[in-house]
Amino acid sequence: MASQDHSNDRSQDRSRAGPIAMAPVAALLVVGFLVPLVLVAWLSLMPERTFGLDAGLTGANYVTAVRDGYVVPLGWSLAFAAATTAICLLVSWPMAKVLARRGSAFALTVTILVALPIFVSESVRLFGTSLFLMPRGGILAGSVNALFGIQIGSILYTKTATLVGLVYVYLPFALFPMILGLAQVPRDQVDAARDLGASGWQVLREVELPNAMPGLLIGGLLVFVLAFGANTEANVLGGQSVAVITKSIDQRFSYAQDWPLGSALTILVAAITAAVVFPVLARIDLDRLLRR
Amino acid sequence: MSAGDPTREGETLRRAFTALVVVLLYLPIVSVVLASLANTRYMIFPHRVWTIDAYREAIGQYTTADLHATSLKIALLVAILAVALAVPGALAFARFRWRGRRLYQRALLLPIFFPQPVLGLALLVALSAAGIVPDWRTAVFAHLVWVVPIATLVISIRLYGFDPAQEEAAYDLGATRLQAFREVTLPAIAPGIVSGALFAFLLSWSNLPLSMYTTGADTTLPEWLYSRMATNYSPQVPAIAVLSVGASALAVAAFLLARGLWRRAASSPATRATS
Amino acid sequence: MSDRSGPGVAPATSASAARTADGGEPALSLVGVTRVFGGSRAVDAVDLEIREGEFFTIVGPSGSGKSTLLRMLAGLDRPSAGDILLRGRRVNDVPANARPTAMVFQSLALFDHMSVGDNIAFALKMRGVARLERMERARALLDVVHLPAAYIDKPVTQCSGGERQRVALARALASDPEILFFDEPLSAIDNRLRKLLQVEIKELHRRTGKTFVYITHALEEAMVMSDRVALMRAGRIVQVAPPLEIYDRPTSRFVAEFMGEVNVWRAVREAGAVTLPELGLAFPSETIPAPEGFLVARPEKLALLREGGAAPATIAGTIVDEFVLGSRKQIHLRPDGAGESARERPTVFGEIPADAAAPGPGARVRLGLAFADCRFVTE
Repeated sequence: MASQDHSNDRSQDRSRAGPIAMAPVAALLVVGFLVPLVLVAWLSLMPERTFGLDAGLTGANYVTAVRDGYVVPLGWSLAFAAATTAICLLVSWPMAKVLARRGSAFALTVTILVALPIFVSESVRLFGTSLFLMPRGGILAGSVNALFGIQIGSILYTKTATLVGLVYVYLPFALFPMILGLAQVPRDQVDAARDLGASGWQVLREVELPNAMPGLLIGGLLVFVLAFGANTEANVLGGQSVAVITKSIDQRFSYAQDWPLGSALTILVAAITAAVVFPVLARIDLDRLLRR
Repeated sequence: MSAGDPTREGETLRRAFTALVVVLLYLPIVSVVLASLANTRYMIFPHRVWTIDAYREAIGQYTTADLHATSLKIALLVAILAVALAVPGALAFARFRWRGRRLYQRALLLPIFFPQPVLGLALLVALSAAGIVPDWRTAVFAHLVWVVPIATLVISIRLYGFDPAQEEAAYDLGATRLQAFREVTLPAIAPGIVSGALFAFLLSWSNLPLSMYTTGADTTLPEWLYSRMATNYSPQVPAIAVLSVGASALAVAAFLLARGLWRRAASSPATRATS
Repeated sequence: MSDRSGPGVAPATSASAARTADGGEPALSLVGVTRVFGGSRAVDAVDLEIREGEFFTIVGPSGSGKSTLLRMLAGLDRPSAGDILLRGRRVNDVPANARPTAMVFQSLALFDHMSVGDNIAFALKMRGVARLERMERARALLDVVHLPAAYIDKPVTQCSGGERQRVALARALASDPEILFFDEPLSAIDNRLRKLLQVEIKELHRRTGKTFVYITHALEEAMVMSDRVALMRAGRIVQVAPPLEIYDRPTSRFVAEFMGEVNVWRAVREAGAVTLPELGLAFPSETIPAPEGFLVARPEKLALLREGGAAPATIAGTIVDEFVLGSRKQIHLRPDGAGESARERPTVFGEIPADAAAPGPGARVRLGLAFADCRFVTE
């Protein structure tokens, strides 16, 4: 063999197998992810309300984006994303501690129960949420009225309802990576820390959190990004009470037929997403997280 | 012993909390079922009349079958294609050691860590630039962009648990590369492949944000439900929603059954066909 | 490396010097075999001949390159330089699946989704042997490795640790290979079972007459089983010899220390004498073949001197520790003059009977040492 192996790999042939095996996936990601984003970026530099890709380049859409007040829906989206992430992480932590335990029948049952709704369409689940929250004839209000004879108010079509929907839909995305992360906390390290006199709080801070951090980061990141780009929750549960950025983008593309401005807003969202995702992903050791 | 365990009480509390959250997670789904049992155009709960009329009407309708057929053909194709791409993808992710692997691992995650409505719109722009009229086939492609990375991760998790020395042992015992893959690697990761296919199917079946922009004139179940929620509400809408959930439950049941049969077959090698 | 050490002090006709085999072609010859990973040489210019039918063990600490060497012998890796000859034929580029060799892996690498029988018969399946015939062969092999015939249909995942070891052994034997390689297969099992399997592997070697090449980091395992042992360090072979010779006549400090607790003292040649500066000792009218080096002495060579007893050299000191080894015990002696002000003086290891009358910690004793019981090494 003339080829000098520079990697630390033991079997030389493997270094060629990798690129071949990833090629189909890579092709899909280039054609289905990279190219569309590049096209959108290009389109965002076209003049207002054009559809072609060959007009002169301009930064006007970005100026419009800021001047026409799209900063407000962007701010709302970010605020919803931050709040959803915080709530999901807080709710997930005690659950993950229960569910990360191996060999517990309770943990297994609950894990399956939590996982199943992921596969029920968002539209069905949000539909159900709105049926539950509806004023007067809704499931909750109707039941309370029938049982106690009192008419309660409703949070449907408010920002609170939007937040409830976001937490409801994205909770599993925080929970499952967190379970993976907590499974990385060696049981004997917790015992050792206790044996050495650590309190429950100290065990959390010194042992559990650092070990579970990759799972926490992945989960938090996932929820943040998905909630940031979500529009169905705001549409179904928020009604007219709030406009999120993806709703604005959708309107630019559909009703307003202003693709360049829609594209500029899309690029803003993508850029913010990348700014959040890249630093975290760069820091995580996926091999360690996924290996059991 | 248990009395001395300082975490005991905390554990009970955590379990109670967990159970409560699970109940809350199912309230909306239960609500849809309850709503489907009415016969009034506007929902006034509790219903004066409880009936399954809505299901009878829904099942008789052409729309119901058509929606299910569209969603089904998309999800089936997505499942098959996703696995075909994700198996080699997972080998590159978790098994092979090569330069650029770390970069690939992270690039693969990007579509998962990306807002789906935004991805859907970007794909719409790309399709229009390429002069392709969107229909259910473009939706298959859109779903793949998001589902293949997930299926790759699912299969990778299984691959991480596979001892690569098994493949070397196969070579050492005279197998060719292809034989080693077929006889050793593939059967070892088969459960991961089946899970990957199931994930792909269910995620495609229930997807709304990507379908919304990429199906063109065709309509999937989630899309239809989404549009009918706001306008033209009738008890048939929740009824069809329940039917769609039932269909995905069927897929899960089929999967569990297949896995059970597989395990039984694996545990009695004498009954296996000779190869 | 082994050639570079000086000649032994004891009258030695080192068998390791006569490396040419007892007639006939060697089963395996290695000529300058080197494997480079990145910039580091995991295996560095190894020359070696393994005789037909020999039980040959390569011992070394972890990271010494022994596994890499074995993988090249099995065809799972290729040398960066040098040649591997299998019965005189160059096999550098012959892949593992085309070599008449089989390996028992460290992790065993059993096929978890298969039954015991399918595992054992795998090599035969790859050769296109019909199922009935290969199952018959598998049944015969179950007997060879002392597993009940009923195990043939048992899922391999349901076997105990020891049973899995036996399945791995039978699987490697199935294709009737000329050479069997073992990559530390017994490193992860408990002591009692390990001893039992060591005996069985040794017996299997005797019965089959095949060439066995065995890798371990456990010296004791190498001593029990092998015809010859090669010691590896940092990618190089340091010494090749039968086990007893390695023990008695190490050619370097490294070998001596790898073989258990041992005294190593700096030795200097002076006019008509050899002095040990660390102990303030001298052997008059003795000489060593180099101006400076080390004297190596096993603990059992240092005898307890009774009142008035004499020896060519005596070391007086206080016992600081003792470790009972059955009927004898090892003592750690702090030699006199090893006080705070004194220059560093090494603890001396001796071995004395472990009877009731024997001195214990705190006792002052004298140990006697003969120059002939020491081994001189230059490095």
